[in-house]
Amino acid sequence: MNNLHFDQIDETLYHEQLDNGLDVYILPKKGFSKTYATFTTKYGSIDNRFVPQGAEEPISVPDGIAHFLEHKMFEKEEGDIFQQFSTQGASANAFTSFTRTAYLFSATGQVNENVRTLLDFVQSPYFTEKTVEKEKGIIGQEITMYDDLADWRLYFGLIENMYQNHPVKIDIAGTIESISHITAEHLYTCYNTFYHPSNMVLFIVGAAEPEEMMALVRDNQAQKEFPPQQDIKRLYPDEPVEAVIKERSLRMSVQKPKVLVGMKPIVKDLSGREMLKHELAMQLALELLFGRTSDFYHSAYENDLIDESYSYEFSLEQGFGYAMVGSDSSEPEKLADEIASTMDRAAEMWPFGAKDLDRVRRKKIGTFLRALNSPEYIANQFTRYKFNDMDLFEVVPVLEDMEVTDLQEAFASISGSEQRTVFSILPSKKSSQ
Amino acid sequence: MFDTITITDGVNLHVNETKQFKTVSIAIKFKTGLTAGKAAARSVLANILQHSNENYPSHTALRMVLDDLYGTSLYIDATKRGSEHIVSLNVETVNDQYLSEDGVLEKVLNLMHLILFKPNFENDLFKETVFNREKNVVKQRIESIFDDKTRYAQHRLTELAFAGHPASISANGTITDVEVLTNEALRDVYRSMLTEDRIDIYTVGDLSAETVAAYIQRYFPFGSRTPESVQQHPEIPLPAAPRVTETEDMKQGKLHIAYTSPVTFRDEKFPVMQLMNGVFGGYAHSKLFSNVREKESMAYYVSSSYSSQFGLLFVLAGIDQAMDEKAVRLITEQLDDVKKGNISDEELGQTKALLTNQLKEALDSARGQIEIYDQYMNLTPEFESAYLIEKWQQVTKEEIADAANDLSLHMIYFLTGQEGEPNDE
Repeated sequence: MNNLHFDQIDETLYHEQLDNGLDVYILPKKGFSKTYATFTTKYGSIDNRFVPQGAEEPISVPDGIAHFLEHKMFEKEEGDIFQQFSTQGASANAFTSFTRTAYLFSATGQVNENVRTLLDFVQSPYFTEKTVEKEKGIIGQEITMYDDLADWRLYFGLIENMYQNHPVKIDIAGTIESISHITAEHLYTCYNTFYHPSNMVLFIVGAAEPEEMMALVRDNQAQKEFPPQQDIKRLYPDEPVEAVIKERSLRMSVQKPKVLVGMKPIVKDLSGREMLKHELAMQLALELLFGRTSDFYHSAYENDLIDESYSYEFSLEQGFGYAMVGSDSSEPEKLADEIASTMDRAAEMWPFGAKDLDRVRRKKIGTFLRALNSPEYIANQFTRYKFNDMDLFEVVPVLEDMEVTDLQEAFASISGSEQRTVFSILPSKKSSQ
Repeated sequence: MFDTITITDGVNLHVNETKQFKTVSIAIKFKTGLTAGKAAARSVLANILQHSNENYPSHTALRMVLDDLYGTSLYIDATKRGSEHIVSLNVETVNDQYLSEDGVLEKVLNLMHLILFKPNFENDLFKETVFNREKNVVKQRIESIFDDKTRYAQHRLTELAFAGHPASISANGTITDVEVLTNEALRDVYRSMLTEDRIDIYTVGDLSAETVAAYIQRYFPFGSRTPESVQQHPEIPLPAAPRVTETEDMKQGKLHIAYTSPVTFRDEKFPVMQLMNGVFGGYAHSKLFSNVREKESMAYYVSSSYSSQFGLLFVLAGIDQAMDEKAVRLITEQLDDVKKGNISDEELGQTKALLTNQLKEALDSARGQIEIYDQYMNLTPEFESAYLIEKWQQVTKEEIADAANDLSLHMIYFLTGQEGEPNDE
């Protein structure tokens, strides 16, 4: 077992890669009574075309299958895994994103039993046609619920505007139609391809004794047999740089219009420290341009163009990404124009210097240190970083090395007007109050 | 968990000296009796104070200082608990020891002082543009509930089910209450908040009680006060109609049911009701989740929650629009099961284990410690998690069944969609 001590933040991270390829990380937190564990596979909604294990030709699977599989992992022949976690005093959950499926629990007792349960249930698939059919009703209601969520429709509407071919434009849960085609056999194919230990990370944080915990995991894994894993071949279509749809809107039952402006990055398939640096530089650049201390924010707030729902974010993965800025606004077109012209001005002449960078850097470092109080943040972020060969504990050093030109360069990858798109949700006639 | 020091009459300081976190958290809570008008005024006030002050007259100037203080998080919120309205100034800042510079904490305290005592006044009133702007923001916040249909349905249920009762008052008041608010009235509310409210101050972090007490006296010179005691048990009125269906342009039906119970937070059977709620619908092993969701596949979410201040139990479910009758029947069947005492040893054990886990987990965050202690110190000033855990352990199936039998169905509310035109443009 290796351990890495981070002086500046006073944390020690323990790591071991087991014989079957599983990466195990343990981060003990002093004074915590809670243990939080995530068991994550690098498999998400975008992995809908791939070469199955043991096969040579790629296949396409129905939209929403990674999320469907996540639901079905909890049901076993002997019953529901939630029940077992409850009996052991743990609350369990799971989520599926574009790129990952994570299973997790948090508990303040019986930690060893709960870790074993987590490993065992994720590593023992059990699907039958009958249980698959039953789940379609539940997930159908989940999809319907999201259909009514204006903020979700806004977010996805913008991504659909940006992407022409890439599966990121497909809703993570799929549609009621697409999930109707899912069979138990599909689930086994996806499971066998993506749930091999060598494609997964186990992260345990909080109350944990590292030596003892690592021995438990090692022992649990040694008792199971896994076939040798061939490289996973995932196929993604070519994607143009331009946003596919420039502008689109949808009517829904909302009291006030909602608008998002998106910027589709020129994606360069970054990974490792380079990707970390690019991502942080972009976040700092957006903070300066659109953060709460920016000229843009000040003027938009004072002129009533934005309200408390205002937000901006940047997200980057291998092969896709997006930056978005928006708010509920009674003047969505005017707000979209202001955001666009703020982008254009910054592209023409970068308005920020060392002093500005220093301020947002301090803010970012402080925010990061605060986030390290949260076991959930550490486990989820560390895993996301790891799947992109980045290291969570490099954040502070990379921020310290950042220069103004790095922000400018990062910004240049989203600033072209052809990369930009606008999506809005407008009140339906009945619901305008 | 916290050591309490009386600073002066009506002002108490609660300190938890701990190395558990890399930060220092501070909360100052102003508490007074709840009315809709006061709730509206104090929400606007919370926004104004957090927007700017005499030394930092713009939002940007204030936020830049916070950025410079290593992104110190500072916000003021307006909430309610039972018949009480609470305005909290919440701060979390990095502990100096992880930084290369000292004195960050004192700068933060000084900023908190400015926010509370040196508002952005013009001619003895809040600056008019800020006043109007923040009134507008709170109005928009109230309006935005409509966009989230689950929140909106719950809002409508409480409005219809508890009209005229504090349970129906939102922590932000109503749009009308915000609209009629004058600058003069708000200034008076501000002054009375500082001089008349009951105040509880919390710190969590690597700071001793003596250090904190000295800081508090220096930066927050609150005078003594005799806060009114807040009445917690007004009678709950019967709703005008026991069952209401409303429609909006949407796809999923939102079924919300309210029950009343004679057991409130201060009742000795309070821990029994917590277990009753857990067995019925509080968790993923509960009767509602395992039967209505897992067995019948008719909902993605279905759960119950116990609102202990007034003894209310709510059930929430997102269901197919045509299935409301069946859902009501299934939910009633699950409750009947609890009433009959059909509770397995496993269900009882699971619920006790999860309540315990949830409480201990919440105490792993500074904010969780503050919020839980602020509520439970009313039960016992020496509150520790062991106090409740012990009570839960003693609860029997018979007591849970009795608690379920004491529930009365109060109102069923259903928000549903209707045939709409295709809405893509």
